[in-house]
Amino acid sequence: MIKKNCCLLSGILVLLIIWQLFTLHADQSYIFPSPAATFKELFYQLSSADIYLAALETAWKVLAALALAILIGLPVGYLIGISDKAYDSIRPIMMFIQAVPVISWLTIVIFTWGVGWKGPVFIAFLTLFPNAAFTTANGVRSIDRRLLEMATVYHVPQGRIFQDIYLRSLPPFIITILDLSIGQAWKVILVTEYLCGGKGLGVEILMARMNVDFAATWALTLLAVILGLVTERIIKQIMKKGRHVA
Amino acid sequence: MIKPCISINHLSHQYDSLQVINDWTIDIQQGERVVLLGPSGSGKTTFLNIVSGLQKPTGGNLQVAADRIGFVFQEARLIPWCTVKENLAFAAGGQPHQELLKILGLAGFEQYYPDELSGGMQQRVNLARALLVDPDLLILDEAFTSLDIDVKLQILHDLNQHWEERHFTLLAVTHDPKEALLLADRIFLLSPRPAVVRSILPNQLAERQIDAPAFIQAEAKLIRRLTDRN
Repeated sequence: MIKKNCCLLSGILVLLIIWQLFTLHADQSYIFPSPAATFKELFYQLSSADIYLAALETAWKVLAALALAILIGLPVGYLIGISDKAYDSIRPIMMFIQAVPVISWLTIVIFTWGVGWKGPVFIAFLTLFPNAAFTTANGVRSIDRRLLEMATVYHVPQGRIFQDIYLRSLPPFIITILDLSIGQAWKVILVTEYLCGGKGLGVEILMARMNVDFAATWALTLLAVILGLVTERIIKQIMKKGRHVA
Repeated sequence: MIKPCISINHLSHQYDSLQVINDWTIDIQQGERVVLLGPSGSGKTTFLNIVSGLQKPTGGNLQVAADRIGFVFQEARLIPWCTVKENLAFAAGGQPHQELLKILGLAGFEQYYPDELSGGMQQRVNLARALLVDPDLLILDEAFTSLDIDVKLQILHDLNQHWEERHFTLLAVTHDPKEALLLADRIFLLSPRPAVVRSILPNQLAERQIDAPAFIQAEAKLIRRLTDRN
């Protein structure tokens, strides 16, 4: 554990050194401020209550998009995992959702809902949902067929097979989905907030850009990265504790 | 006349053009212990899958007069995210029979997960699951092959003890002559693919102790028969 933390800290230290060296040579410190200037700005930002409200606003959108992706992605993934026909029917829809650029969804969303929370959550959901469904489908397909044979030999009722084999096999898929999706969810929500969000860190970054305040832009970006990593850590810890619990 | 537990008439099975079982005709009586002894590829597992209903034969017919079948698989096939107790309840329903768990050395392990158990203990759970359904027919598919000899002997002893009480029909496949002699009333020798039943040997050992002279002689004789057959 200590060794792991030492590696993590040395990685962060290397990043800060590269950052510092880059700003020394970039000669445009107002566009690319040094770590010290960025952290100073971050602490200044953190002294205001508004930034906490903005962070909370973004965080709930991230969690809402993740929850939606899991709540809808798991049953859809389960269905296409057990049925080849369902897989063949639903796959083109998934491919379509994956192929449409975020900017096109944004246009539709802005025209439909205008500026607000719905657009960012919906677009993040659309970005995460295909991965959630395909991850679940692959997981369901990889369930040990020999367990199902065992259930057949013992005449186990279908309801019990669903509950004990399929349903209780889901937590590892949820962990994988979260693992793959949290970082992406934060990025998509920030971008969509920037373009059509009413409130949130993305909007704060937009305001900083409009005020040509690059230090604030970087400080807010740093805050978003830290929040993304912290959320990922918290969710992983929760899932790890529930490894055997369905 | 008592109806046989398993009645097999000219049973054959093939995968595409590969014939694995060729014209088997066997009757296995209620309460009898039969072991099929043969090399790898002699259709043993396919045969058990057919008896248990997992596969349909491509030729001949088979009748199984057993309401409850217990199957001890070669690999334990335990649900990894379920405890021992839940794994047992999955197949047998209800609460596990404490006396049986005690006999099989599983008492106190009910809340363990499969990955917390040794291979031998997992195999005991596999056996307990099969016995908990109170089977009319117990099928063993090379169930103890991967176990250390001392663990294997202990489990076979426990199994024989349980059979003495319940007198279920036992059908086992193995390539281990020692295991066959410890378990069987009759031993069916199989040839390699396409497998046919070459001979049927009654096991007349009064005492099933591996270090008893009669057992050692019987084992040597069985190995000779297997080698001759090959």
